[in-house]
Amino acid sequence: MSEGSQLDFFTLLGLEKSYDIDQAALTASYRQLQRSVHPDRFAGGDERQRLLAVQKSAQINEAYETLRSATRRAAYMLKLAGHAVDTSATTFQDPEFLMQQMQLREELSDLHDAEDPEQALDRFYADVDNALTSQRQEFQGFYELGDYDAAKSSYAKLQFLEKLRYEAEQKESELLDF
Amino acid sequence: MALMQISEPGQSPEPHQRKLAVGIDLGTTNSLVATFRNGSLQVLADEQGRALLPSVVHYADSGSVVVGDEAQSFAAEDPSNTLASVKRLMGRSYADVSATEQLSTYELIDTEGMVSLNTRAGVRSPVQVSAEILRALAERAQQSLGGELQGAVITVPAYFDDGQRQATKDAARLAGLNVLRLLNEPTAAAVAYGLDEKEEGAIAVFDLGGGTFDISVLQMSKGVFEVLSTGGDSALGGDDFDQVIAAWAMEQTGESNLDARQRRQLLDACRAAKECLTSAETAELRVAEQTLSLAREQFNALVDPLIDRAIRACKRALRDAKLSSDDILNVVMVGGSTRVPRVRERVAQWFGREPLVDLDPDKVVALGAASQADQLVGNRSGDETLLLDVIPLSLGIETMGGLTEKVIHRNTTIPVAMAQEFTTFKDGQTAMAIHVVQGERELVDDCRSLARFELGGIPPMVAGAARILVTFQVDADGLLQVSAREETTGVESQIQVKPSYGLSDTDIADMLTASFDAAGEDKEARALREQQVEAEALLQSLSAALLADGEALLSEEEQRELLAKMEQLHNEKASGTAASIARQIEIVGAASETFAERRMDASIKKALAGRRVDEL
Repeated sequence: MSEGSQLDFFTLLGLEKSYDIDQAALTASYRQLQRSVHPDRFAGGDERQRLLAVQKSAQINEAYETLRSATRRAAYMLKLAGHAVDTSATTFQDPEFLMQQMQLREELSDLHDAEDPEQALDRFYADVDNALTSQRQEFQGFYELGDYDAAKSSYAKLQFLEKLRYEAEQKESELLDF
Repeated sequence: MALMQISEPGQSPEPHQRKLAVGIDLGTTNSLVATFRNGSLQVLADEQGRALLPSVVHYADSGSVVVGDEAQSFAAEDPSNTLASVKRLMGRSYADVSATEQLSTYELIDTEGMVSLNTRAGVRSPVQVSAEILRALAERAQQSLGGELQGAVITVPAYFDDGQRQATKDAARLAGLNVLRLLNEPTAAAVAYGLDEKEEGAIAVFDLGGGTFDISVLQMSKGVFEVLSTGGDSALGGDDFDQVIAAWAMEQTGESNLDARQRRQLLDACRAAKECLTSAETAELRVAEQTLSLAREQFNALVDPLIDRAIRACKRALRDAKLSSDDILNVVMVGGSTRVPRVRERVAQWFGREPLVDLDPDKVVALGAASQADQLVGNRSGDETLLLDVIPLSLGIETMGGLTEKVIHRNTTIPVAMAQEFTTFKDGQTAMAIHVVQGERELVDDCRSLARFELGGIPPMVAGAARILVTFQVDADGLLQVSAREETTGVESQIQVKPSYGLSDTDIADMLTASFDAAGEDKEARALREQQVEAEALLQSLSAALLADGEALLSEEEQRELLAKMEQLHNEKASGTAASIARQIEIVGAASETFAERRMDASIKKALAGRRVDEL
């Protein structure tokens, strides 16, 4: 294993280990790194060098994609803290969140009959995005307090919301007939 | 100094000698080749001054192969041996295309994997036909530039899946081209416009061709072009504009029973009317015995529903990119159908800014590819552009019940590598079948089958005990590679790759042999030459690397060992056979692996350090 591949994603991208990251700094350092390792830099090089560049470049892409997404960043930070999340079985005892989920699901299933589905879809995205924003704040609060169990449950909620968003995208494809 | 003895005098290129590289737009209807010379990007024309090469190949009675305008002239007289639009068949099976290609004038054959064409010269794969077009363009370039090409960038539609990309690369290999990169068409277009711009911001590339619509959103920042999202409609194009005019015309005249020939004539007339309306306010249109007058306003109303579909795809692409239309700094127009004023008008309206139309929408892709080729071949230093593309369609594997599990999602930046763990479900199971598909749908049957892998050599264990890690890697060209390892024992599983659409190395070798035979070339001599070229390239790049970083990153002994092996390769190159050179290339490559890794890590550190300095 080379030294570079052992670096955690924050170090690899030259950032402080914190949930609240500077997106601009992340992007700037990502681009700088890709400039030096992207396979295009080795288009004239030998096969091995190119293959190595593909691997390094893929690793940097993974680090960037992980840190850039607030949900994936949350999972990654839990893993770094030794609290890797099991994504398969999660149940909630939070009635408020369950209620919100039910409302959002209903909104999603009603999209078909909406007078203007495109507009209804836009509203739905906005609702999910709002819920995501407040859930991220909750996650950050618990994580910084070191309450990893609460942070994990908060992460699970983030995942649920992301899944809803994904389902909405699928629905959008159906509705708009791509 | 030992390092300097590696290159023979006169062998290494002059420091300022430009290497010849081209960009090729391998289109459905027309293809182009462009290059960077005398300080500007230029499309290379043939001796008659024609820039566009019709993507038509004719297999002549005499046994010769004719390409382009000359081939097209046989379309009416000998349609079954005059092949057009084969791009639509690339990487496609008979079942995929038989429905849409019913009107083709040539005979399609249901061959395993990719569909084939029956010609008088024998059965031809779309890859072989495309190779003829590429060869014609390469010859044009070599004549025009006066030397052998060092490499080419070939463009592909952003939505091309793995099979279609692989087929394109295979065609280039068959044509004897060194492919520097497969580049997505919209990215190439953005590069063509971005040459002199140092602006930062998002760009949308709106590509409306004859049969397809493609939209890409890119972020441009200090020479980095990052594709944020890509989407489109593979059944929307200028041909649909002709169709709606035709439907209108038939309604107006009450004509409903047209035969195939009359219908073709009507569509041609509709196309002419459409083109006329680009500058005129009304166009005349003959249907059977009647003449109709089509006003621009009426035409606009007819095509608006089609443009609506394009706008909807734009909206989706922006959403995927997490941007709104206000964030778009520039809209680049590509494809002949963007000449339609209504299209420009609607695009300007929706994005809230006038689209860029300065470059010819038919040439812009080839020009951008040429720019990138010039850089990749090593003619530029300093302010290099970096193109970060995305994978257009999700990659997944088949799970129980014929469902797809996505391993890499669409719009993920490439290169990308993802690992997925599998286990055995029977005691003592030693093999496992994995089916890789590409597409967004949940059912495997609705996605494109890319490959079936047979993982063998799994040590017998109880069910569920084996842990097989399968790694999917997509390179910068968007091409997939799969490797697998049994984790508990560390056994590297054998993978039998059976591409569903691509060609195996044996297929390529057979086709190459056939083309050598046809060209009367000596296969052995060519193989030797290829190995010599590769050896020289390896020696040159290693020498340069050693000069730059050898002392810093390698011990004296490590340097000595590597140099000794390079010296051997140098000797082998001068007097060895193709096989012995290949062997020594392998040895030198293996010996330089550690050095290559250290260099990569060093450059990562340097990049990070550089950034911190920038921030101060």
